[in-house]
Amino acid sequence: MSDGQIVVSGLTKQFKKVRAVDNLSFTVEPGRVTGFLGPNGAGKTTTLRMLLNLVTPTGGTGTIGGRRYADLSQPLRTVGAVLEASSAHKGRTGRNHLRMICAAAGFPNRRADEVLDLVGLTPAAKRKFKGYSLGMRQRLGIAAAMLGDPRVLILDEPANGLDPEGIRWMRGLLRTLADEGRTILVSSHLLSEMELLADDVVIIAAGKLVKQGPVTEVVDGMAHVARVRVQTPQANELVKALADTVPGTTVSRADDGTLTVIGTEAATVGRTALKAGVELHELTTERPDLEDVFLDLTAGKAAIR
Amino acid sequence: MTTTTAVAPTVAFPDPGPAPLRLIRSELIKIRSTNVWWLFGIGVVLFTALALVVWTLIGNSQIDTAAAAGNDVFTPSQGTDAAQIAAERQQFAVEHDLSRTLISVAAQIYTSGQFFGLMFVMLIGTVLITNEFFHQTATTTFLATPHRTAVILSKLATAMLAAAFFWIFTTVLSLATGAIFLSAKGYGTQLDQWPVLRAILFNGLAYALWGVLGVGLGVLIRSQIGAVLVGSISYVAGTFLIQPIVFLIYTFLIKKTWVLTAMVAWPAIASGIMISPEDAYPYAPDWWVGGLVLVGYSVLFGAIGTLITRRRDIS
Repeated sequence: MSDGQIVVSGLTKQFKKVRAVDNLSFTVEPGRVTGFLGPNGAGKTTTLRMLLNLVTPTGGTGTIGGRRYADLSQPLRTVGAVLEASSAHKGRTGRNHLRMICAAAGFPNRRADEVLDLVGLTPAAKRKFKGYSLGMRQRLGIAAAMLGDPRVLILDEPANGLDPEGIRWMRGLLRTLADEGRTILVSSHLLSEMELLADDVVIIAAGKLVKQGPVTEVVDGMAHVARVRVQTPQANELVKALADTVPGTTVSRADDGTLTVIGTEAATVGRTALKAGVELHELTTERPDLEDVFLDLTAGKAAIR
Repeated sequence: MTTTTAVAPTVAFPDPGPAPLRLIRSELIKIRSTNVWWLFGIGVVLFTALALVVWTLIGNSQIDTAAAAGNDVFTPSQGTDAAQIAAERQQFAVEHDLSRTLISVAAQIYTSGQFFGLMFVMLIGTVLITNEFFHQTATTTFLATPHRTAVILSKLATAMLAAAFFWIFTTVLSLATGAIFLSAKGYGTQLDQWPVLRAILFNGLAYALWGVLGVGLGVLIRSQIGAVLVGSISYVAGTFLIQPIVFLIYTFLIKKTWVLTAMVAWPAIASGIMISPEDAYPYAPDWWVGGLVLVGYSVLFGAIGTLITRRRDIS
């Protein structure tokens, strides 16, 4: 039993015509940042909202530390959530927005000032929400999520609207919070950002789980999408030899003569070249990045449903 | 693999206190931290002041007529319609009985501004709900309190608190004006008369119940503009249209007095009946029937609102 573990089990949501989430199961461990990835419309937001009791599941359950959100006695002390950047009354100051949450949760008002300080919004505390930039709104959302000093943080596309400096700040904050032992679940479609931030990934497409695991394992397990870069003076011979002896490979040729082989490993390319008597000047494996893996895994599943 | 990582508590939290009080406090902060309360407050004060001027002037002439009336005898005009005769007889009686006139005038002045006051209280109740969707704060609210019934109940309680505030405020204003006016005319305050006290007290009940109706309306019509328009138009236009329409039905279609009595089913007319010392109109039911109708609507709207909110997906 671990306190901050998120367990999603057989979660399903059927909207009128669309099955937005389809028998989805995965777990999220404490002390790690888990990236929740999927193409637009894959069901990420619906999943998170079901986990937080905002949307009623058609089937299945989502629990946090073994309990459903609605059963938590002090939910904000356990879970902090950042769901949308524009969720505050336009005419209310940032500080009053936080104080209204404090009142509902029974937190002292000083928590509002403490979290404003944490996200660097103290100078804008008494400004009305409508005067906030998108980045400031995101920060206010994170501040609201941190009010209860929760051990689980759930963020839906938190990088949206943040400038590069803001993104770096958020990355540092989430890293620190995870290192403190908290559970961090972040949905995103910014794959390069996730590769820098996440320890684990959960990839879904069309409401179904595609892959779950540590980022490194997921990427390493996808070596077949690796690219092998080759420099040779006998390009034509190598292309022919690969086509004859290693089926399933594709070779592309850059302007400077560099060949890029997809669909096999460097060793196979080297062996093929040796047998064919082709001279090689360079043979490098380019490790696939998360984006390659993601696109390969979700290929054809990102269609508008 | 870390399965049990202890999170060092970095913040100390005091006991949160009882949930209902927390929620009502949160709702009151929501009202106070935006422009709504003082905009509506100004509206209520303006309409109350206007109503006070109008009712004092009307009361002034009514009292003078009654005081000057001698031993006139009631003679109905040419019409032979029972309802019309009854209306004339009632009017004659009120006009020629000084003590009844005083009670009627006092009750009218002490509940000044009720018509628009009730509308503003209803709109506050409505906005308590529709704001959550218009400004997308419903997510925040239901994250802090996943128990949606508790959230709706706290909004109902908050609407009643706002209603009580407006009632006390307008009543103090009206009592002061009315007492000065009546003593200037050389009469007592009439506050020792039960129908007058009843009017004042049940005016308060009307305020509270209209706050509840407003919350129900907000749940049923989630759109801010839609709910406010439907609420205020059906309140103002409905109230002015329903009486002529019902009288037309009575005159041309169903010549039965229960048609007139049944008008109590319209909420605004029910609250008028509830606080009126005299019959609000010919064949109006007793005052408590109006009260029951209004309570019935409030319970119905509150229950429907709670049930809908419990089931609704917040996205």
